[in-house]
Amino acid sequence: MTGEARQDFAFAFLSILFEGAPFILLGTLISGFIDIYMPPGMMDRFLPRNKTLAVIISGLLGAVFPVCECAVVPVIRRLVRKGLPVSCALTYMLAAPIVNPITALSTWKAFSGPVMFINGESIAANVVMTTGRMGLGLAVAVLLGLVVARIPIAWVLRKRLLDDIQNNAIATQKSHDDHACCGHDHTHSHDACGHDHSHDMAPAGGTRLVAAFRSAIKDFVDVGVYFSIGVAITALFNTGIAPGASWLDSLANRQVIAPAALMALAFILSLCSTSDAFIAATLDKFTYGAKLAFLVFGPMLDLKLLFLYQTVLRRKFILWMALGLFVTIGAAAVYFQWFLNQQTLP
Amino acid sequence: MNLKLQRILFSLIVLTWAAVMLYFYSSGRIGKYLAPDFRPLALYGGLGLAVMGLFVLLTANESASCGHDHSEGDPHDHEASEMHPLTSVCFMLVPLLFASFSTKDGFSVQALSRKALFDAPLSNSVFLSADLPPLTLEEIQKTHRKNEAGFYEFNLMELYFAVGDPELQKLINGMKVETEGRLVMEKENNADGKRRRLYRLFITCCAADARAVPIILDFGEGNVPSIEENAWVKVSGIVTFPVERGATQVVLDTASCEPKEAPWEESFMRNY
Repeated sequence: MTGEARQDFAFAFLSILFEGAPFILLGTLISGFIDIYMPPGMMDRFLPRNKTLAVIISGLLGAVFPVCECAVVPVIRRLVRKGLPVSCALTYMLAAPIVNPITALSTWKAFSGPVMFINGESIAANVVMTTGRMGLGLAVAVLLGLVVARIPIAWVLRKRLLDDIQNNAIATQKSHDDHACCGHDHTHSHDACGHDHSHDMAPAGGTRLVAAFRSAIKDFVDVGVYFSIGVAITALFNTGIAPGASWLDSLANRQVIAPAALMALAFILSLCSTSDAFIAATLDKFTYGAKLAFLVFGPMLDLKLLFLYQTVLRRKFILWMALGLFVTIGAAAVYFQWFLNQQTLP
Repeated sequence: MNLKLQRILFSLIVLTWAAVMLYFYSSGRIGKYLAPDFRPLALYGGLGLAVMGLFVLLTANESASCGHDHSEGDPHDHEASEMHPLTSVCFMLVPLLFASFSTKDGFSVQALSRKALFDAPLSNSVFLSADLPPLTLEEIQKTHRKNEAGFYEFNLMELYFAVGDPELQKLINGMKVETEGRLVMEKENNADGKRRRLYRLFITCCAADARAVPIILDFGEGNVPSIEENAWVKVSGIVTFPVERGATQVVLDTASCEPKEAPWEESFMRNY
């Protein structure tokens, strides 16, 4: 790397890092506090009994319990084990990193400035991109949840997790036979009652605060590693130092290939959903449709998630899910860009 | 690695990030990196990281409990990291420190060439329509200050985006204007070496998404000033809009060009 290239890289790297780091901090603080302070059965209480409605509500729960994609996998692993329906858990897993206030805020900030023309009206690009991202993310997650609700659970979950759930169900049934104090319906999982079944004494607030900050700093470092790598790669492409930068640019205006290329880039970069919008906004040669694909696909499937998903899901299911996400999001992004291209200037 | 050491390492990583962000903010260098409304976020982020890092560092030895059930085959650990803490130290500190010591707070001309420095002007200006002055010559003259030599002071971006607005273009074509920006050598259509390119950066959020807004300076029969590449200059001349290389260009037939001090910040205009 020449001296000039080194300075260009450093300048681009720091600018993206300064922009994204505050949002990662906000996300990991919230996720750390949820991790410690949210009781295990709390989410169950938000879900209706109707399966379809439960899947849709699960997709919106991220607005109440915002977690990024790294934090969501351990959370849903725990919730599934505790009896949350798999369809609801997967919907929450895919939607929560996108349909949450921190991601909305960062997307809003990252795309602030430019204006689009839709139906003859000028609309701020951040309005279109934020609502487009939330809407498409929710729709895709709900669609996958509805599909999962109709297939056998054994096709979806890892065998070990499945065995745990079945053993827990037997143990729960047995336990409830002897547990008549609650006075409510126990057809749901034992830990969804809304009270703590650990029968431990609650710890002092101070020690819980310490635990929350430790969880938050751990999340910050875990996410920060991938963010640093992602920002470094982006800075190399942004300044033309990376060998494939010109090749990537050459794909930017191709209607179908561009979204596919950015989904592949999102998969490799493995960015956090709380800060990926700042990376997408710097890909200025690409269309908004391709950027939308990047912003929706990345939080649902990337290199690190591929490993994390294997702690919950069967490999074969992950493969089919990846294919489904790629095709669905890609098609939606192509349509979105086609729609924008049809708009005429006033 | 034991948990106490991990907490200390993580605190040091976070405190380093905080120190770098707070240094760039307090030294004013942040102005080269972020658009104005992102700068306070960098300050709050730096302060937040400092608080979190210090809190975890000072309580690294204390025992703490999350207060919920870790039984039933779910021995989850709120502090179990995805990778070895030393690996995290490498990935989070090496690039940050390398960049902090290598940066010169700006892009080279090579990098700027990827950011539209040598591209033809955009042919539609509705992007900035709200910011354009009313379309009568009288209003234009009223809204732009005239200097002692009779040149109207224009923002470089107004001249650049006039390409996409035929009405404005017609009104200011041939007008004596003064503007400022950074000077680089013109690459195309410059066999006699009498042309230069004047640009400023247009920043939406951060420097990485910056876009150059350039016009052409043509010194014609006059002397080309010997000013170093990328230096800030104030120029005055007559603005014209010839069609060259298949696109309408903004060319300033330059009467004078003199060095000036760099403005306090790069992002001179945002599109709202």
